[in-house]
Amino acid sequence: MIRRSILYFLLLAGALFTTLPFIWMATTAFKSLTEAVSPTLVWWPAEWQWHNFVETFQAAPFGRYFFNSFLVGFVVTGAVVLTSLAAGYAFARLDFHGRTALFGVVMATMMIPFEVTLIPNYVLIRNLGWYNTYAALIVPWCANAFSIFLMRQAFMSLPADYFDAAKVDGCGHLRFLIRIAAPLVKPAMVTVGLFAFLGSYNSLLWPLIVTSEDTMRVLQVGLTVFSGAEGVRLHLLMCASTIVILPTVALYFAAQRYFLESSLGSGIKG
Amino acid sequence: MAKSGFGFRVSGFGYWLWQKGLQLVHAGTCTLKRFTRHPTPDTRHPIPAFLATAVLLFIVGCGGGGGVATGQFKPINESAAVFWDRQTTETAELLRTIADEFNAKRPGALPVKVEHTGGYKEIFQKVTASVQAGALPSMAVAYQSMTAEYIQARAVVALEPLINDPVIGLTSSDLDDFFPVVLDTNKYPDSGNKMYSFPFCKSTLMLYFNKKVLADAGFDGPPKTWGEFLEQCRQVKAKTGKAAYPVSVDCSTIAAMIFSMGGEVASGRQTLFDQPAAIKTFELLETLAKEQLAYQIPPGTYDDEMALSQGSAAFTMRSSSGRTSIALLMKDAQDDWGMTAIPQDDPAHPSTVLFGPNVCIFNTTPEQQRTAWEFIKFFTSPEMSVRWALGTGYLPIRKSAANNPDIKKFWGEWPYNRAAFDCLPFAKSEPNLAGWQEVRTLVETAETEVLTGVKTARDAAAALKQKADAVLARQ
Amino acid sequence: MSDHPTLDTGHPKPENRNPKPELSPGAFLDACAARCDDFFDHLHTRTLRDTPIALFLLAPALTILGVFGIAPLFFAIYLSLFGGKYAAGPFVGLGNFLEAFHTHAFWGSFLVTAYYAAGTIPSTMAISFIVAYGLFRITRGRGFFRTVYFLPYVTSAVAAAMIWRALLNPRFGVANAVLAGIGVSPQDWLLEPRGILHLVTSGWVPPDVGPSLALCCVILFEIWHSSGFMIVVFLAGLTAIPRELEESARIDGANTLQVIRNVILPLLSPTVFFLAIVSVIKSFQAFNSFYALTGNGRGPVDSTQNVTVYIYSNFYEYQRWGYGAAVATLLCLAIVTLTAFQWCFVGRRVHYE
Repeated sequence: MIRRSILYFLLLAGALFTTLPFIWMATTAFKSLTEAVSPTLVWWPAEWQWHNFVETFQAAPFGRYFFNSFLVGFVVTGAVVLTSLAAGYAFARLDFHGRTALFGVVMATMMIPFEVTLIPNYVLIRNLGWYNTYAALIVPWCANAFSIFLMRQAFMSLPADYFDAAKVDGCGHLRFLIRIAAPLVKPAMVTVGLFAFLGSYNSLLWPLIVTSEDTMRVLQVGLTVFSGAEGVRLHLLMCASTIVILPTVALYFAAQRYFLESSLGSGIKG
Repeated sequence: MAKSGFGFRVSGFGYWLWQKGLQLVHAGTCTLKRFTRHPTPDTRHPIPAFLATAVLLFIVGCGGGGGVATGQFKPINESAAVFWDRQTTETAELLRTIADEFNAKRPGALPVKVEHTGGYKEIFQKVTASVQAGALPSMAVAYQSMTAEYIQARAVVALEPLINDPVIGLTSSDLDDFFPVVLDTNKYPDSGNKMYSFPFCKSTLMLYFNKKVLADAGFDGPPKTWGEFLEQCRQVKAKTGKAAYPVSVDCSTIAAMIFSMGGEVASGRQTLFDQPAAIKTFELLETLAKEQLAYQIPPGTYDDEMALSQGSAAFTMRSSSGRTSIALLMKDAQDDWGMTAIPQDDPAHPSTVLFGPNVCIFNTTPEQQRTAWEFIKFFTSPEMSVRWALGTGYLPIRKSAANNPDIKKFWGEWPYNRAAFDCLPFAKSEPNLAGWQEVRTLVETAETEVLTGVKTARDAAAALKQKADAVLARQ
Repeated sequence: MSDHPTLDTGHPKPENRNPKPELSPGAFLDACAARCDDFFDHLHTRTLRDTPIALFLLAPALTILGVFGIAPLFFAIYLSLFGGKYAAGPFVGLGNFLEAFHTHAFWGSFLVTAYYAAGTIPSTMAISFIVAYGLFRITRGRGFFRTVYFLPYVTSAVAAAMIWRALLNPRFGVANAVLAGIGVSPQDWLLEPRGILHLVTSGWVPPDVGPSLALCCVILFEIWHSSGFMIVVFLAGLTAIPRELEESARIDGANTLQVIRNVILPLLSPTVFFLAIVSVIKSFQAFNSFYALTGNGRGPVDSTQNVTVYIYSNFYEYQRWGYGAAVATLLCLAIVTLTAFQWCFVGRRVHYE
């Protein structure tokens, strides 16, 4: 009992430390500019400036940005989950020529600094005529080595007997993947999907480079509107940042339920 | 076996659909089987095919992207002259209004389209990437150091042909109306001293001071010389306990200080950071830091303006375009602050630095270039340049602006409103050398070293000169 | 070819010839998969083995990775052979690489990266594991706690860094207020170029030895920011461990520490391995936190300039694409070497089922 309470206490303390910056951010969203940048740290605004939200939405077409961010995010997530599921399974359970070398090449893509990939990818996008389209925002991110790696690890940790048993029942690789293996690695799939969405939602440089029309911009690009040469309008920026974070928090809250289940349900006994 | 997990009942139509679909798949695979009835026994390694495809795609993708050093670039928008700019909100509105008025005057001609493209850094990145992609906008806002890089990529055009054009060019009386420095700052000595950009937003470095803090320390006015400045800082610290001068680490500020000490920053392709004026500048900063009269603020922030407006600092040295934001912060206390020319070693021969980005025209089609030039000409005409100045806080770049009634009204509103304009005649600009971007970074590093006490002023200046010269020599 | 849609398992048909089939997209997918499996089975030979089906599964991922990931690498290698500005300079062969080896800033940036990796990886993994295990064991408020601990990772580094910058502001940040409360003089935090060892030992260690205080702040930020990510991955791994193993160990009388050491950690080793590899790669390529925290990436007197920031400056500020590409290639090589090393030496000890 005491152990339990100590655990909860520690977790609460850690949670406070973790969320302190966010509490500051959320309260700053309601402050006036002078309060937000005052030299003496002001935690609670004297007056709650609800009109900050109105001003924020007027500064840029955030409604459209939300739509774009979500559309791109969901499509990328779906694509990444599918491609990494397939590729991860192939690398984990299939036996084919050049498997190790190919996996090495895939891993190598994780090790290439982004400055290097930025310019050739931009050139390619322009030559394909994808500038200012959803394709440019989505396609380059539909597969990434990190997710493939994660899924590979997940599949490798499934007992080998599973597949053998299924094979005896006449089940080929694809059916095994769809019917048995994929449901078993749901936590990993959810992780992959979550990170894919986050990566897409939080990226700034790529969308900035490949879009210029307001109708195609995403939320992170919208946030740059508040940092001008006249100074950073901190209260509005924090307001916008709070709004921008909320969907991902909600998404994570919904997704983390999947970590509760144990992936090895009835399964087979040893 | 576990179930796959998604299923719902469908009706007879669904059953038929399902049946047909399955037959289709079955037929497909049987056909495929027939085609691969005798697979060849040699093993086809997937890697060479994969790599070959990648290389092929790369060649295809990048092969078409040669815009560098081959002359003209394609315009990214065929039906408008796109202007990549960094203004936000109100100033962006003003710019768009001006662009709309320009377009309204020329129905049927190529319109100008203003696109907000992030900050200066993002615009620089995007132009860099676009140079490689072979398609550029019509014009973009850029600092001289960035334009110097664009020149090396042959991405920008010299403006002399457009300026001297008999139809759309500027008359010589027009040219004379501009302050010489705003035109000179757009000449690039490395490239035949031609003008590769035109002034867009100009400002000068000014000294902002908090009158109340100075009064508390026993002074009734800002310092005129650097000696007075040091003394005032000391008194502020002694009498009020506050550090007097938050420093925004910036190469242009150092340049202004060097100018005001009677020196130059570079001569030809050699920097002059080991000369007396530069040494004096660094030594002043060293003294200020040692006596805890000055401290550096986090880069990219405006903490110095905040401190000034809250009365916890006496001075700050910022571009005159900061006037609008400080005015906002001090809106209840307009009498408590002012701005003036920065302190000078020799008040009879003052000097300061000219700030602010310019606009450059890219090497696209002749029509796009002419449209861009006409827009720039419209934008810098006497009425428009005054409108822009009054709406943004940048300076009017024409001498004739002094006679404009709106400007006169503005100057009457507050005694310090004309201080920046009065600095234009003696402002100087930093050198427009290729590689100056890198030198700026080195200067800022040296300034930080001096302010944090990591190096002495002389050591920092000597090391700076060495590194800066190496960079310039390498270009 | 049967008219009736039954599952073709290759075995003799069951007695009930027309069972009511399960009508659902899932079953349809299943049936398609069965057909494809049949086809691939047909292609399976001794020499080809699983290659056809592997190619089928790998095709989409490999295409995208190849075009957008590998092809640029070739472009970078090609670029690194040229000097000058943009992609238009003279051919210098290995000149850029030699220049890099002779430049102090280049080695300095690798040192910063090494400090950063050594500072973030072990600590983040340890903290994340402890927290993840704690989150795994609690029964109430799961959702709340898990969300709270993941919050830092959910925010973009840019927004989170803004907050940290404000909190670490030397003039009015919370950090210095706390220090004042315990009687320590205020620090410059992100603006301090002198080493933390120098500051902590009151000058006994020279100021340019060890990571600067600014770099330590960046490290702290990264621990705070990415622990959320590791916690999630650890949680996913922990939930995959069968309950029975843990329960039987407890029944046998093991206490928590022993359970962790003997049951959980070995079973978690694929996850730990994955995180180790990925963390090394990510920490060598870290950019966002550096840039957002210091405003220009380099930090005071270049003390937070890691290799990625160095490459960025060369590419996008000085336009030295050839040189930047050379440094990027060297970085890539370093990461590949480290990963291969980890894979061979550490990977042996990973326990898979």
